[in-house]
Parts: sequence; structure tokens; C-alpha cells
Amino acid sequence: MSLLDLARKTVEDARKLGAGEVSVSVSSGSELSLVRRAGKLEQATQASSRGLSLSLLVDDRFSVHSTSDLRPDAVRAFLVNAVAATRVLEAEPERRQADISLCGRGATDEELDGLDLTHATLSVETRRAAALELEAAVEALPERARVLSATMHLGDSSDEGVRVMSNGFEGARRSTGFGLGVELTLIEPGGRRPEATAWYSANHRSDLPAAGLIAAEAWSKAAERLDSHSIASGRYPMLLQNQVAGRILGVLGGPLSGGELHQQRSFLAGRMGTRITNPALTLTDVPNIPRGLGSRPWDGDALVARPMPVIEAGVLRNYYINTYYGRKLNMPATTGGRSNWVVAPGTRTPTAILADVSKCIVVTGFLGGNSNGLTGDFSFGVQGLLVERGEVTAHLSEMNVSGNIEEVLGRLVEPASDVWTWSSCRTPSLFFDELEFSGA
Amino acid sequence: MTHFSSFGIDEALCRRVLSVALSRGADDADLYFEHSGSTSVALSDGKVNRASTHVDLGVGVRVVVGDQVGYAYTEDLSEAAMVAAARVAAEIAAGSRTTAPVALTLKRLPSRYHATQPWEGVDMQTRVGLVRDWEKRAFAEDSRVIRVETSLGDSFKHILIARPDGRLVYDYQPMTRGWVVCTAETGTKKESASANLAQRAGLEFFTEARVSSMCHRAVADTTALFDAVKPPAGEMTVVLGAGSSGILLHEAIGHGLEADFNRKGISIFADRVGQRIAPPGVTVVDDGTIPFARGTINTDDEGNDAQRTVLVEDGILRGFLQDEISAKHYGVAPTGSGRRESFRHVVLPRMRTTYMESGTMPPEEIIASVDKGIFCADFANGQVQIGAGDFAFYVRRGFLIEGGKLTRTIKDVNLIGNGPQVLATIEMVGNDLKIDEGGWTCGKDGQSVPVSQGMPTVKVSKLSVGGVSA
Repeated sequence: MSLLDLARKTVEDARKLGAGEVSVSVSSGSELSLVRRAGKLEQATQASSRGLSLSLLVDDRFSVHSTSDLRPDAVRAFLVNAVAATRVLEAEPERRQADISLCGRGATDEELDGLDLTHATLSVETRRAAALELEAAVEALPERARVLSATMHLGDSSDEGVRVMSNGFEGARRSTGFGLGVELTLIEPGGRRPEATAWYSANHRSDLPAAGLIAAEAWSKAAERLDSHSIASGRYPMLLQNQVAGRILGVLGGPLSGGELHQQRSFLAGRMGTRITNPALTLTDVPNIPRGLGSRPWDGDALVARPMPVIEAGVLRNYYINTYYGRKLNMPATTGGRSNWVVAPGTRTPTAILADVSKCIVVTGFLGGNSNGLTGDFSFGVQGLLVERGEVTAHLSEMNVSGNIEEVLGRLVEPASDVWTWSSCRTPSLFFDELEFSGA
Repeated sequence: MTHFSSFGIDEALCRRVLSVALSRGADDADLYFEHSGSTSVALSDGKVNRASTHVDLGVGVRVVVGDQVGYAYTEDLSEAAMVAAARVAAEIAAGSRTTAPVALTLKRLPSRYHATQPWEGVDMQTRVGLVRDWEKRAFAEDSRVIRVETSLGDSFKHILIARPDGRLVYDYQPMTRGWVVCTAETGTKKESASANLAQRAGLEFFTEARVSSMCHRAVADTTALFDAVKPPAGEMTVVLGAGSSGILLHEAIGHGLEADFNRKGISIFADRVGQRIAPPGVTVVDDGTIPFARGTINTDDEGNDAQRTVLVEDGILRGFLQDEISAKHYGVAPTGSGRRESFRHVVLPRMRTTYMESGTMPPEEIIASVDKGIFCADFANGQVQIGAGDFAFYVRRGFLIEGGKLTRTIKDVNLIGNGPQVLATIEMVGNDLKIDEGGWTCGKDGQSVPVSQGMPTVKVSKLSVGGVSA
């Protein structure tokens, strides 16, 4: 049975069992991953996988279910149990599906361009050769002797999914993913073994960077962690590197969500249309970027995926509100979750920005930390560099950066020009006025 | 026979699939069958308004050649699909058969988590009643409570491991977790906190004492935050409260002692077995045998006996957490630490319940010995860099220590330090070891496994606290 037929049949069967509304997703995919280390293929994993998930509304009572046991008898028993389990809950009409007029595609599969047709004919030998090539690039590093261990990772996947809803929505998607990276551990005379990873993923295999570039990046990241230490606690300007800036921006994720607003756990409640960050920040949710790692044609409620301003020149423009919380909060639904976050870049490179600053901490990585969505307070462990007038004067570790996200984003001075596109969080490096660092 | 009937397979079929797995000359192989299910119910806005159920069924085939692993899995337990998976996994080897699987014999396992009221026999109405009761109790605790969310999750896992050496290992692994999230308001201030409880147990886990303590803690921990201040920034003396502060061990030393990192030489502890890494009086254990603990297992996921493994004895590093591949490398016996998230994942050396043995100091004396520092009571998450040894953990709630006394409440602060340095600066160990009953989950290489942790009250002379400068 095709995925679409299975999904349609499951919707029909669930309705016969008493479900008023049903949404079914069926997926099927394959994955392959290779790990090389010390001149050997250390691990090879390969599998094909499938699964079915559904949400039900039975007399306005809501539940979600999933199974990987797709034998017809097992699916039947699973559905009977699912419907019965739902009946004992309490009714909540707000759970009803979105009106079909709001559902559909925001972009065609061709526009999203997430499918690399060469995946189907890619041989295991070609993949093994690519992992070997990456290892050779590491071996060719000028300072190979300082590398204690190098682990090469290669992975790819192909996924197909369909969704059928009782409101009439039907959609199908196919996509591929490719990843390539290396993890390096160096050694210091004192026994510390600083480590770093360079990892790239893309929808199309040909978009991945050359092995030599990946190896060189892993080396320079690891080398930046040699002989690191903390410096005195105090307030320092911060340049937050593009690859890791999502960690700080991510503090906004919970407070922007309809669920947290409804539960009164968001410091952004009641702030729509007001300034919440420095005007230098513009953040947009863009679901239709071709080959974007967070791109999608529709969202979790099957609502048409459309670009949405989140923060415009510092002003809060939209929350993430799905159909259910829209009804609960009496607000229009936007979308329930992030696609690609795009931060508008500035004009200067990080190097140009740093050249003018007498002393600045460049944050290149995080270690632990968390935040409180009710207050916006956060505290993260950081690693990085001390840069004085453009010169790196120390490698930093064992430090924390702490503050309140609203206050911190208020101290954003300028976004740099270097947007990082290898992530669903597409942001340039961000330069901030003095923030609170704790160290020695 | 239950152990085969959960999967609709038999012994002869297992041997045929193992035989294919070994067909290209592998050293060893295993089949890991898993049939798992979970159910959850959740309450918010005064309504039990969401339920979920999940079913997972499949088999992972692992083929081992030296320290090389070929792995494949399938959700289809037909012979054709399993044989195809075994063929793919076997491709890691490039020779011809040297061994053949022998007849399988079921191994007897200890029973460390027998559920007297297993969740499969509990109806949905009972689950609904529990989460409703917890909500009622939380609201009754304090009139400042404005929102309560509660949830109950329970799951079971049947696992069956078949090995070419004839071992057949079957285990039934239950799990349950209760959760209460509370938001309270006073004047213009709002705060939120939560409490949760988890064990490998059935319905009997939720005794009156446990439930009332969980609901009380969720509310008390929330309202305590109304007066919280931000702690100072920089290096200072830190006292870790008994129980969940075992997160420090998990990050500062636990991961660093997982043998895969050491086998590759990339852990900071790689060359330090037999050496002093902590002061006398510090003994750190990773134990898979504590009855009902979330991290406990009757067998590991390679079919080896779970153990109580002493990692640090009176300050001396004794050994690592070993799975079979690393144990072979080191020429030691596996420690029963080979674990995986599911049949979709390869085995890795992992922690189970990690704790420090009690020392001799009464906890009040430890606090009284600190003139200026912080006391950590409640934790969220942590992380470590295996090679550098730097680790961090996030404190949701704690206290300032001033003049030997706990004074103001503090909240939301990250602590960071270096594992070996922090271990070396443990100054006092309390006599009050407590294994935490929280629902901790450990992540490594993209795999999550349930763990537990414990700690007596411990004083560390120096950790960097992510507070604000005075």
C-alpha cells in the first residue's frame, strides 16, 4: 500500500471507530552513516525506516499517537486503543483542526528544492570514498602532529512523508539531507585535550564544502581552544560568532510561543508592537528559502507556511501561535513553530568591527546554561577569545555570560555582515556593548 | 514463551539471522529486539485535555570486527527484512565465516524493578484521576498559585538479545514519571517551578508520601523564588545539596570515565587510572543495581550483567565504564554499561546511577564552615567537554551562604569548572547521601538514556558562578 493510501485508510478507519477529526502522517525513509577514525571505518549504519502518527479528536477530546508497527492487525488494534484512550479525557473544542481555507502549501517542492535526485543512485563506495577523502584532508593538515584524534562523520538520508487530515487537507513531501564533518582533539603538554567540531549539512550533496575546507575549519576552531583560561569577572563588549549566535537568540523561543503566553510563563506577554530589542535587530521567520534547512511548505497544523516578521527594527511583530492557542488566547493563529530564523545583516565584517574595540570577548562556543522564560534571565557557560584592537590576546574558557535577554538585546550595537547559512538559524555575528562575564 | 512471543519470532529464526550477520567473518554479532510502548496524560487549564500513546517495534543487528561496528535495523520483523539488515551490517567485515551461532539458552536475570501494579493493567480513568489529584493538591498548597500543569507518563520495554555464543537475554523494563509545573503570582511578580518523580515501577510508585512531597515541592520551590536575588559573579566556594547535585559527578567525571572516550585517548582521564584524582574520602560509584532506580537495569543492552562499578575509591581512579568493545581493548570484563536508546542505535558505554558515597560530616557543619559562598539546591541541565575536562551545570534555585548560614534565595545561574581541578578541590563530604528520584535523562552522540544520580552534601572550594558583579 502506498503511503498516501495508508494515510487515507487510517483516517477513514479512525472515523469509523468514532473519531470526529483525524490527522494522519505516514513517513518512510532511509539513512546511512559512516564514522572513520585512525585510518579505519569504525562504524557503518544503514537502515530503512517507517512510521505512522496521528492526532484524534473524539467528541472534542484530543490525543496524539504514533507507531512503527505497521502490520495491518497491529495498526487496527493501535487505532482501537487510541480512540478508547481519548474518550476518557475532557472535551476541548479549541483542539479542532484549522479551517481548510487556511491550510495548504506556501511553496512547491520545486521551489523549496529540498530533494537531491542523485541520492537514489549514490553508492556505498562513493560515500566511503568521501569519508576517506575527509580523513586524507585531516592527515594533510600542516599541524597534524598536534592532533591526538580525528573522527570523520558522514551521513545522509532520504525521507518521504504524507499527511492526510479529515478537514480535507492532503500533502506529500520528499527531501534529502547530507552531512559531513570532523571532530578533532588536540593535546596540550599539561594533558588537557581541547576538542572542536566542524560540521556541515545540506539538502543537496553538491552544496557541501570541500573536504579541505572542513578539515581546516576544525583545526582552526580546535587551535583557538589551546591553552585557554578564564580572565577576571567583569563587563566586556561581546562579539557573538555567527555559528553559535542562535543559542542567545534561542532564549526568545519559549517566551514567543503561544503555549508559554497562555500559561503566563512569558516575559513577552502584552509586548506586541513594542520595542523589545535594540533597533539594530530584525528577525524574520522565512519558511520558503530554497534549500533552507528549516524550510517547509506547511506548518504543524498544515497552515500555509509564509514569511513572518518576528522582530522588526527592535519591535515585536508576531508571536508563534498555533490554531489551538490562537483560540485559547483569542488571537489570530500565526504558526506554531520556527522554520528558518533570518537575522538581517549589517555592513561591516567581524574583523572590521573588532579593529575598533579596545577589549572584546568573542564568544565562539557555549557550554551548558539555560534561561528563565518568565523573566528572560539567562546564564550560559562560554568559550572564546579575548581580542584587543583586533589582536587575539588570550583563549578563554571556564567563563559564563549572564544577563536578561531583553536588556542584552537592548545592548546590541550592530549585526555584522557574515550571515551563517548552514543552519536554520541564519544570523550574522552580533556585536554587543558591555555584558556581564564571570570568570576568575 | 513470553520472550519470543512479544516479537513473533523463534530461536531458529534468531540463529539464521545471526548466521547471516557472521557470514563475512565477523568476530561477534548481536540481535537486539525491542517492543516498547508508552502512554501519557496531561492536564492544563483545569482539564485533562491531552493523551498520547506510542508503540515501537524493531530489531537492531550489530556486527563487530575488532573495534569496527556494522549496524542495521528494521521495524519489519519478517525473516526477509531481518536477513537483509544482517547482510548490510555484515558489510563491515570483508572475509568469510569463521564462527557459527550455537543454540540459544535463556539467561536468568535478577529482578530489580518488579512492578506490583504494571501500567498495562491500569485503565486510562485511573491515570486521569492521578493528574487531577496532583493539580488539586498543588492549588491547595498556596493561594498565590495561578496555573498548574500536571502530567503522568509511563512506559514499558520488552528487550530480547541474542548472541552467537548462545546467550539469550530477555528483560522487561518499566518506567514511570510524574510531573507538576506551577506558576504563582504575588503583586507584580510571577515565578514558575516544577517537581517530578521517576522510577522503574508501576502504579504503586505513587504513594501518598511521594505524591504529597512532589506537589508540595512544586509549589514551595516556586514561591521561594519571589524573594530570590542574583548571586555574585566569579570564583567562590560552592556547597552542593544532597541528592540531585550528583549532576556535578555526571558531568565532571562520569562522562570522562566512559571507556570509549578513553580508548580513543580523547578523555582528560585517559592516562590516569591508579592515580589520585580526588582527596581521600571521595568515592564515586556508577551502579546499575539499585532497586527501582531510573538508571537501573537487570541486563545491559549487550546482554551483560549490570554491576556496581567503583570509579573512584578513596580518591584513586579505579577504572572506566566498559561496554564489550572497550573491555576487549583494555583486556578487562565489561561493567554492564553498554546501553542504547533503542534498536535504532548502537551500543555505547553509558552511566546508570552515578553517586558519591557518604562521608562523615554533618551537612549543617559543612554550611557553617563557609563564610561566603553559594548553596545549590535544584538543577536543570549540564554539559561537559570530555577532552578539556570543562563542565557546566545550571542551578535553578539555591541560596547565598553568608557567615556560615543560608540567607537569600538565588536562582538561574550557570556554574562552570574543570573536572579534574574541581574533584581535587572537594573539601568536605557530608554523611547524607541521597539518590535523587528525579527523571534525569543523559544525552550522548544523539542518544538519550534514563539515568539517576545521587550525592551527599559536598563542599567544593572553587567554581566559577555566572552571577552579576557587585
